[in-house]
Amino acid sequence: MTEKPTQKTADMQKMGRIFTKALLAIAVILAILEVFLHRHGVAAIEDSFMFPAIFGFFAFVFIVQVGKWLRRMIMRPEDYYEEGASDD
Amino acid sequence: MTSLPPGLLMIIVAALLPFVPHMARQIVMLAAIALSAYGLVLGAGTHLVWDVLGFELVLYRADALSFPFAVIFHIAAALNVIYSWHDKHWSQHCAALSYAGAAIAALHAGDLITLFIWWEATAVTSVFLILAAGTITARRAAMRYLIFQVLSGVLLLAGAAFYAANTGSIAFTKMTLGDTASWLIFIAFGIKAAFPLLNGWLQDAYPEATVTGTVALSAFTTKLAIYALARGFAGTEYLIWIGAAMTALPVFFAVIENDLRRVLAFSLNNQLGFMVVAVGIGSELALNGAVAHAFVHIIYKALLFMSMGAVLHQVGTIKASALGGLYRQMPFTMVCCIIGAMSISAFPLFSGFVAKSLTMSALGDTGIVWAYLVLLFASAGVLEHSGIKIPYFAFFAHPSGHQTGEAPIGMRVAMGIAALLCVGIGVFPAPLYAILPYAVDYHPYDVSHVTGQLQLLIFAMLAFIFLIRMKWYPPEIPSVVLNSDWFYRWLAPRVGRPLLGAVMGVWAVFLRMLVWYRDMGWAVLDRVMHAPISGPTVPGRAVMVQALLLSLLLVLGYLLLG
Repeated sequence: MTEKPTQKTADMQKMGRIFTKALLAIAVILAILEVFLHRHGVAAIEDSFMFPAIFGFFAFVFIVQVGKWLRRMIMRPEDYYEEGASDD
Repeated sequence: MTSLPPGLLMIIVAALLPFVPHMARQIVMLAAIALSAYGLVLGAGTHLVWDVLGFELVLYRADALSFPFAVIFHIAAALNVIYSWHDKHWSQHCAALSYAGAAIAALHAGDLITLFIWWEATAVTSVFLILAAGTITARRAAMRYLIFQVLSGVLLLAGAAFYAANTGSIAFTKMTLGDTASWLIFIAFGIKAAFPLLNGWLQDAYPEATVTGTVALSAFTTKLAIYALARGFAGTEYLIWIGAAMTALPVFFAVIENDLRRVLAFSLNNQLGFMVVAVGIGSELALNGAVAHAFVHIIYKALLFMSMGAVLHQVGTIKASALGGLYRQMPFTMVCCIIGAMSISAFPLFSGFVAKSLTMSALGDTGIVWAYLVLLFASAGVLEHSGIKIPYFAFFAHPSGHQTGEAPIGMRVAMGIAALLCVGIGVFPAPLYAILPYAVDYHPYDVSHVTGQLQLLIFAMLAFIFLIRMKWYPPEIPSVVLNSDWFYRWLAPRVGRPLLGAVMGVWAVFLRMLVWYRDMGWAVLDRVMHAPISGPTVPGRAVMVQALLLSLLLVLGYLLLG
């Protein structure tokens, strides 16, 4: 039990690195394609260079940051509704 | 087959299930679903019209809008039967099959009263899937769920009554939002479609149901509401606003929710938002988008709930804070979960992409840019909670040390079929497009769509890796997240109980006063009886009362005559 998680953590870190590299490779390909292909979106702003990429990146960061901030307001302990013992 | 509304057969078979041995039960259920589905092939048109009290009850109306919903409801019912193969007791099978049957029958209701009956039937049958979890928490959530579902039904019935009074007809057709009738019906649909602030029941109850129950629940009720909105209120502009809010708001809740099935319930709400926006646009392309989205959504949402159900079944918890590292113990479940996650995130070649593109294009045609950008934003949100958070925290993140294996074979087969459907529809969308309500000439795989969507998704994933590396991603914390159910679960009791206490206090004082006056009255009477100023004593209260009444009559007589 004590041995396995560390082994697993190392495994997962390795997978994480491979995954990150793969994503970066696709991102680079997409950026190159953006130069050569004529991509046009629904809204005019969408046609600007790498708009979906930039929008996606910042939307994601924004969602997570707002979520963290929201935690302070609407996160409560598990027994908040006083329904007795939790299920687990 | 046209003598029986689709779905009714499933309900009849469900009623017989307790008497079927468990060896044959799943086969019988699948046969019932297949037979009911066979009816769809033959049954286009209107059948079974009953004349009741001058109103026409249309029990069986099948057309281009009901058909795709009916097809996917049958598929979902069958998947659920396979997924719950390991469950030897009849009770949940009975509830799930009759629930699916009621939902299918509701799709074919041609009038508001028939719709109401099946609308309530879905509530009454499905609540058992929550109750079956057997915990106190589940029982309370089930009761709250039932109250909301029945409330929706009552509003629908009230709306139908107003509608009948206004128009002299109860036919369920397109309505214009404006009078009392249409608003009541609109809100009734809105409760089941989990509109903002009416959505609390969904995130409250679905994650409390059993492993198999949540899978069934995720398919029918809300998509029945989408169907009803598409039939009754297509092109209602409010729906664009409501739908946009539905896509964006649950995203933030899902980020911080710890219960992974509840994360999926928030995600379900977000997906409904896309469909509601599409119904609000109301163009042929948009309605096709709503129907296609509902179709593929049922499959990938069921797949995600199935994979999380498998984890819950094997590990005993579904809290993100207690999970992680299961990729080696449950590799098949992990692969299925990731296929579901990629489908819901609308990766090209997965089913979500071919459906969501329709809605996004239709929204683009309207020129409502703000709504388009909100939906684009929500797409990044879908990727965050369903695309990444669900598989990441269940199967990777940090090792949790759970010793377990793969789920029972039935669960794996169901997940496998759902995963194949997700990829199959994504790669060959033509059969799906062929059954949409309007003729489609749409090609999702053009350069702009594919590269645009890939950019959005890949860079959003890079944002995730960036946040994890910077340790800015919020950790999983055992907790509850407040939602709109807070108003009736926390606020209402705390405001209501003192208020009720005060009212009851005043009432008690009033009652005590009445008692005191009564006692006083008798006391005076007794005194007069036993110690009169003159004349004989009166032997009892009855005599005294009679004497008083007679005196009163005498006085009245004098007054009236004189």
